[in-house]
Amino acid sequence: MSGPSRGDVDLDRALVPDSRPAPSRRRVLLGAAGAGAVGLAAAAVASAGPAFADTSRTAAAPAHDGGDTGHGSEVSGPVVVHLRDVRSGELDIFAGTTHTRLRDPDLASRLARAVR
Amino acid sequence: MSSHREAPEISKDPVADSTDVYAFVSPDRPDAVTLIANYIPLQGPAGGPNFYEFGDDVLYQIHVDNTGDGQADISFQFRFQTVLRDADTFLYNTGPIYSLGSQNWNSRQFYSVTCIRHGGSTTLGSGLACPPCNIGPLSTPNYAGLADQAVHRLPGGIRVFAGQRAEGFYVDLGSIFDLANLRPFQELHTQYGMHIFDKPAPGVNATAALNVHSIAIQVPITQLTRRRPHGVNDPAAVIGVWTTASRQRVRLWDADQAESVNSGPYRQVSRLGNPLVNEVLIPLGKKDLWNTLPPSDDKQFASYVTNPELASLLPPLYPGVFPNLAALDKSGAPRSDLEAILLTGLPSGIVPGFQNYTGPVLADMLRLNTAIPPTRKPHELGILGGDLAGYPDGRRVFDDVVTIELRAIAGATYPLVNKKYVPDAAATKITDGLTSRSVPSGYLKRFPYLGVPYSGFDTPS
Repeated sequence: MSGPSRGDVDLDRALVPDSRPAPSRRRVLLGAAGAGAVGLAAAAVASAGPAFADTSRTAAAPAHDGGDTGHGSEVSGPVVVHLRDVRSGELDIFAGTTHTRLRDPDLASRLARAVR
Repeated sequence: MSSHREAPEISKDPVADSTDVYAFVSPDRPDAVTLIANYIPLQGPAGGPNFYEFGDDVLYQIHVDNTGDGQADISFQFRFQTVLRDADTFLYNTGPIYSLGSQNWNSRQFYSVTCIRHGGSTTLGSGLACPPCNIGPLSTPNYAGLADQAVHRLPGGIRVFAGQRAEGFYVDLGSIFDLANLRPFQELHTQYGMHIFDKPAPGVNATAALNVHSIAIQVPITQLTRRRPHGVNDPAAVIGVWTTASRQRVRLWDADQAESVNSGPYRQVSRLGNPLVNEVLIPLGKKDLWNTLPPSDDKQFASYVTNPELASLLPPLYPGVFPNLAALDKSGAPRSDLEAILLTGLPSGIVPGFQNYTGPVLADMLRLNTAIPPTRKPHELGILGGDLAGYPDGRRVFDDVVTIELRAIAGATYPLVNKKYVPDAAATKITDGLTSRSVPSGYLKRFPYLGVPYSGFDTPS
């Protein structure tokens, strides 16, 4: 049976990516970062930039949800990172119509430092 | 209301709030089914200068299950885009709008239609124009003709319309939400000892001068059923229908750009099949959850259907009026009649000449038997009125679903599953006092069937 209605997960593969134009400059939007373990960091970038490049080696294998665009390739729309837990390094990354969860304590701690 | 503002979260997100779903064999085209999903409830017609429009960031869908598992076999997706001709004026329009291509129309909306069938995606149309909202005689003269231009023909004999319509659902909200004080029976209400009402009064249609936004699509029957059905008793004749709205998981307010940023997979935030299920049967603490799930997950909510809270409230609110219902409630017997009507469909042998059974999976869907032809003289009480082409066989735009469901909950349909049960006399009379004639706009006899929306000039408040 097709799964289009089931939380719309499978439908995402068929969806047109967000048609908003790509931001003209790299920018980082920082939101409510908690003082403790949990915070939110949102980055709108054209692709995975230098801030992320050198951390990929330490990241656990990411879990994908909702499509195969955006990971390891150019991303046309905003990329939003939700730092779920600084200690464990658990991050949610949203790009286009995809969601990727990964564990990267180094990146997590750097993001946390950036918002203090 | 049918499903207007029915859950805490979606009540804060009107553009994604589904209000009504209709599914019926088209009276003027009986080889095609019309599916309608309404959104954006309770629109004041004069609500400018930013008149109502679909959400560009919302994924709207109408789903069809033709295999009885409560999951979509076919989904029609609708995605909208708003285009401004001139961002330097505050005006919605700068002169009369005589056509959809009018240079005087500033804030326009276009949409695409995509069909998802067994995982495959087909774009049926794109760049399809919505009509403007009905502003008034100077801005939108000959509105009916203007809206007709927004009925688009798509490949495969499909017709589609998306735009503002008059609210066709009628209900006395004021009385129902005032502790179910139905005006035609208000003198019988307990009134908590206040003795305010000593005689009946006519119902008041709370939606009488309000508009809604409709997505309507008319599709040949054979494109919706799993195979060409062979008569009313053929299980393949029955389809289940519901609508959903979905948003991307992340939404940020980008203060630098003064705009929202959306990202991530789409997730369902609104769902609607049968009218009033989430509104009246599902408890407050579970309404938001219900909105995120597919019908195939509805088994967990079945107890709210088979033991409806409203059925237990009617006897104490109307002392002495519902003694048989009170006894039925007290017995603890599950309301299998409501389960059949709302969650499985009615099997053959219950109502002569009728079935809309989709199997044992408990799923809230509108169930339409596509082999039942439209009724020449329809009865707005549907099957309760002896009209097999009306609710709960699908739902037509004029069906009196409030009265039908009130009577069903009050016990009028329990004899379908227990012939020994005698409904209270009041169960066959209870109503909020409205009929389809309570809708001032009336209805169209052709696609998209819902009436011409009320104009802001003529309906200023």
